[in-house]
Amino acid sequence: MRRSPLTGRLLATTLPVALVLGSVSSTAVAEPMYGRNMSTYGLPGGIDTPTAETLPDGTLGATVSWSDYGRRSSVVFQALPGLTTVLRYSRVDGINDYRNDGYISDRSLDVRYQVLDEQGWRPAVAVGLQDFLGTGVYSGEYIVATKSVTPSVRVSAGLGWGVLAGKPRTIDINDEGGTPNADDWFRGGAKPFASVSWQVNDRLSLVAEYSNEDYVAKYSSGQVFQQGEEPGSGLNLAAFYRFGQNYEAGVYAIGGETIGAQFTIALNPRQAPYPSGLEKAPAPVRPRPAPAADPDGWSGVWAQDPTAQPAIQTALGEAMAKEGQTLESMALSANRAEVRLRNGRFINQAEAIGRTARLMSRALPPSVETFVITSTADGVPTSSVTVRRADVERLENTEAGQIAAASALSDAPTGAPGLVRSEGVYPRFRWSIKPYWDLGIFSAEDGVTHEVGAEARASYEIAPGLVLTGALRQRAFGNIDQRGPGIPGQRGEHYTPEEYLADPSLETTPEGVPRVRSDTRMYTGNSDPVIPELTLAWYAKPTPAVYTRVTTGLLERAYGGVSTEVLWKPANSALALGAEINHVKKRDFDQLFDFRDYEVTMGHVSAYYEFAQGFTAQLDVGKYLAGDKGATLTLTREFANGWRIGAYATKTDLSAEEFGEGSFDKGVTLSIPLGWATGQPSRERVDANLRSLSRDGGAQLNVRDRLYNHVRDSHSVKLYEGWGRFWR
Amino acid sequence: MNGTLKITLAASLVAGLAGCGNDSEGNGWVGVLAQAAGQAVAQRRAADQPAAPAKSPEEAAAEALRVNPGPLIQAGFEGLGRTQVMAMTGQNGAMRTFMTPAEEALILRGGMLVGTRGLGHDLSVAEPGTEGLIRAGASGSGTRVMRYFAGDGVERPLQFACTVGAGPAPGVTVESCEGHGASFQNSYMVQGGQIAVSRQWIGPDLGYVTIQTLRP
Repeated sequence: MRRSPLTGRLLATTLPVALVLGSVSSTAVAEPMYGRNMSTYGLPGGIDTPTAETLPDGTLGATVSWSDYGRRSSVVFQALPGLTTVLRYSRVDGINDYRNDGYISDRSLDVRYQVLDEQGWRPAVAVGLQDFLGTGVYSGEYIVATKSVTPSVRVSAGLGWGVLAGKPRTIDINDEGGTPNADDWFRGGAKPFASVSWQVNDRLSLVAEYSNEDYVAKYSSGQVFQQGEEPGSGLNLAAFYRFGQNYEAGVYAIGGETIGAQFTIALNPRQAPYPSGLEKAPAPVRPRPAPAADPDGWSGVWAQDPTAQPAIQTALGEAMAKEGQTLESMALSANRAEVRLRNGRFINQAEAIGRTARLMSRALPPSVETFVITSTADGVPTSSVTVRRADVERLENTEAGQIAAASALSDAPTGAPGLVRSEGVYPRFRWSIKPYWDLGIFSAEDGVTHEVGAEARASYEIAPGLVLTGALRQRAFGNIDQRGPGIPGQRGEHYTPEEYLADPSLETTPEGVPRVRSDTRMYTGNSDPVIPELTLAWYAKPTPAVYTRVTTGLLERAYGGVSTEVLWKPANSALALGAEINHVKKRDFDQLFDFRDYEVTMGHVSAYYEFAQGFTAQLDVGKYLAGDKGATLTLTREFANGWRIGAYATKTDLSAEEFGEGSFDKGVTLSIPLGWATGQPSRERVDANLRSLSRDGGAQLNVRDRLYNHVRDSHSVKLYEGWGRFWR
Repeated sequence: MNGTLKITLAASLVAGLAGCGNDSEGNGWVGVLAQAAGQAVAQRRAADQPAAPAKSPEEAAAEALRVNPGPLIQAGFEGLGRTQVMAMTGQNGAMRTFMTPAEEALILRGGMLVGTRGLGHDLSVAEPGTEGLIRAGASGSGTRVMRYFAGDGVERPLQFACTVGAGPAPGVTVESCEGHGASFQNSYMVQGGQIAVSRQWIGPDLGYVTIQTLRP
């Protein structure tokens, strides 16, 4: 039996491993060739050498590998079924640069594409670029083929260039790094490498390989460093042990002399502990009684009674509140009802809409035939789902596509005839006092940094769309101390806060670029209370497809002023266009109400597009905080369960020298909904932003609550992606 | 005993970290984790300390019949290792929704399982093409589609090939299904087209549920 990829994917996620393994051995068609262990570089491989294996689509993993050669921390993401990407932060031992530490910290990025999957006699074939941004310690390229010899033994062989051929590229000490050196790729002589892996049982696998890597780094200054000990031979051996679904530990020997150990954790967004969620069952649909049993209800005369709507609205509002939904307003006539809801609980808007539809069937008199369920975000309506009550009754608990086909999605105008606001919804005051924990993991200079303290936060929604927000933070302890920016020309040295404050000319780099982000550490380490933000925001919707935002006040830690945004996003369109203009002033380092001298008007125009399979792209073109002009491209992959993994790159008209290390700004963002991990319904997320460096070029204003992601939850692509939860 | 104490302590520390406020929607990740931990502890306590003598399924059924005048079923979840009385909370045509006090639901159509809710590995909807055969007590084969949420949040169908025939005991109809390397056997006792007693497969994680009608 040949399984469709869809079924294969589902099996991998809903059936326990035993079932999957059982079915694999009984079918002639093999599963895609998934890696059994991570290499020391953090992607499927042998030990140091690569293989043509992949990971299950969407897998996110992290590997830390230690040996006398250094410590490699790699984050791997299987971005497409064939495309593996790795972001790596390494401590490379044995190299002395200007810091004279005996090691260097190095960032590197790899990509690998599996050109062919294994089929019949044909092996899987992959092409890869290792450390391909700039010339780095690990730069190399390869072509590799992997073949299953028996169900438990796989053999890989390939050709490697650069480091993989034992011919490390010469590193330009003056290069700022960060740009691809395509001229070097697949040049400078190739050498073969090979590996064998044996899956002893479900948990243990053994690997032997022949590698040409000699752990040498060459610099353009003529210096040559041996990392650790020179490998005595090209033969490397390793054993890997997998425990649980998500962990793997390994030990390895490089060239018979150097011993290393590594640990991997891998998560797949598709493998949720509770795929359907643990939320309580919804209240079922209540079908209407026969007309003879309730003639008044069916005739619609009740609509003449002025007390009817308030009573119904109160009852429905209370029922919705139990589901974490706020009934903001309602319009009710004899045969049509529109409710406007704010979803405070569910990641998928469809679940909020589905539960509201069922509650409406329980609360509304029988003559009401048309249900209009309008979602709101920030007090502004974003889209309406219109569905016939008879269809809600008829299709309850059927395949979700049926109710999707029977309903219509449309843009929601700001107002609707007969709309009555629910009592007690506005003004709305919320407050909280919580601990906060800032963690910096991948800083090349500082290692792990952290700060712990308390944050008080309050928001007051004066009217729909008008929100006053404030936050106050008090640091308790941590090692993120106040520090000036790096001293130009003396790499590794920083100005003291006092030096930096004493000389205002330092707030511009020698190249003439204002320090808009490179002095970000001046804002840290305050032992007094600070105000991270204090804003008044106004959201509005002048036409059914145009949204606006004006935010004013202390917008973020380092800037205050006015931020304005407009977004065109029809509910059924995959394309959106936006523009943002900000006038901001740099805040003083005490993060209270004072400002510094720097002031700028900046902004950008944006185009957003939602592709198939959860991919979205965003292109911003405009002027950044330092006054430099350029563009940012962001690619995000998003799953129906709310996982978001994205990467962005910004290039501006600053030269690589003006820009500083990295040449252009780039980073990776990750957002995991907490409900995915706990099963409890929640809109909370855990966010991480891995950005390479805080530099002054391409710096964006960090204003909260930009429109696009708020509006989009209830728009066609995202709504229908999560539509399966309508009857949840 | 020690284990329980330690876990409780850890949970209260987390709960302390969760802070305070009236912002229940945005309680922060710490708050949500604390809530989850709290529930785990509560479950563990419930499992650890059967302080009140546990009611036998028969006693629970008798009490439910006394207290609740509506339709009732008793469901034994084999995968969860518990048997519970469930009361009808809604009826839409032949479809009935039964819930436990903790608002976990079984959705039945004339006794045929069509869905579950609130159990974490729910069956979204079953489309049993064999339903007619089972109700008629006839033999034959048909296709059964079972829809589940995959971990990525998308509802996906699994299709099974099923054969229906008389079971070993008189009055029992057995439906044997196979597909995707899995197989399961549902058993039904049909009385006048209604399924009074049955053992039906929910899915790979939850396994079987035995459903007994206490009051139709």
